[in-house]
Amino acid sequence: MSDPTLLVLASLAEGDKHGYAMLEDIQRFAGVRLGPGTLYGAITRLEERGWIRPLKPADDRRRPYALTPGGREYLEEQLSGLNQIVRTGLRRLKHA
Amino acid sequence: MKSFARWLVGLYPRQWRERYGVEFIALLEDANLKWRDIFDLLRSALEARMNQTALPHIVNLASRDIPNGYELETAVEYPREDGSTLLVRSFHREIDLGDSYITLNHSTRGFEPAQTILVCGKKGEVDGDFRTDQTEMLILQIDGTVQRTEQTVKTWLKYDAIRDRMREKYRSGMAAGLSPDEIHRRILATD
Repeated sequence: MSDPTLLVLASLAEGDKHGYAMLEDIQRFAGVRLGPGTLYGAITRLEERGWIRPLKPADDRRRPYALTPGGREYLEEQLSGLNQIVRTGLRRLKHA
Repeated sequence: MKSFARWLVGLYPRQWRERYGVEFIALLEDANLKWRDIFDLLRSALEARMNQTALPHIVNLASRDIPNGYELETAVEYPREDGSTLLVRSFHREIDLGDSYITLNHSTRGFEPAQTILVCGKKGEVDGDFRTDQTEMLILQIDGTVQRTEQTVKTWLKYDAIRDRMREKYRSGMAAGLSPDEIHRRILATD
């Protein structure tokens, strides 16, 4: 999975995070190092769609983001679709 | 490299910088930037420029309760494809008098002359979620004349509940210290 929007949503599913914390978390759980431009491109798209929302920054600069109920629903749908693909792929490999 | 990266943030559209600039520069300061991040910034700035037409910016949004009604003032900046912006200002006042209502709308787009519309409506029969009203609309022209139109209109009754809910969310957002843009995004996220 390397879609930056899904990686951001999966990171925020654990709890609210600001940009740098998301980069570190995504590298840890997915092994993907997102560039800062890619990360904020994803944040912009997700906020426009209402799937994440900005929170008040603790230090006026590092603004955390939170998953919205719509974002959680979208992430669940996408992950369940991916899960189906992974299971089917593994089963077919086994019988190939 | 970090100062170069900060300079590159200037390539993003102004509207994007106003919204994300401070937190984005904070991220660049925290991150251990590599050369590939510079290319990532360039590509992302280009994408933001190509997508900027989709982001209207709410400059001002104010709502007030008045006897038997409310007032709403808005100023929204719409980006144009050539990079300039169009500012649309509007003042709306609505008064409910029980069996009738009056709405006043005063608005302007950019440097065009302002247009003022006064609607007086008499509430009619309700059928399900709709009500049939008799209205008289007066468009006040810039030369002092008035264009008058009488018509029968169907009013969707659920609109009042939606509008009241949005005004309540606006009030709570203002109390929480959010900007008009943030309040608008929250309303979109939950409705």
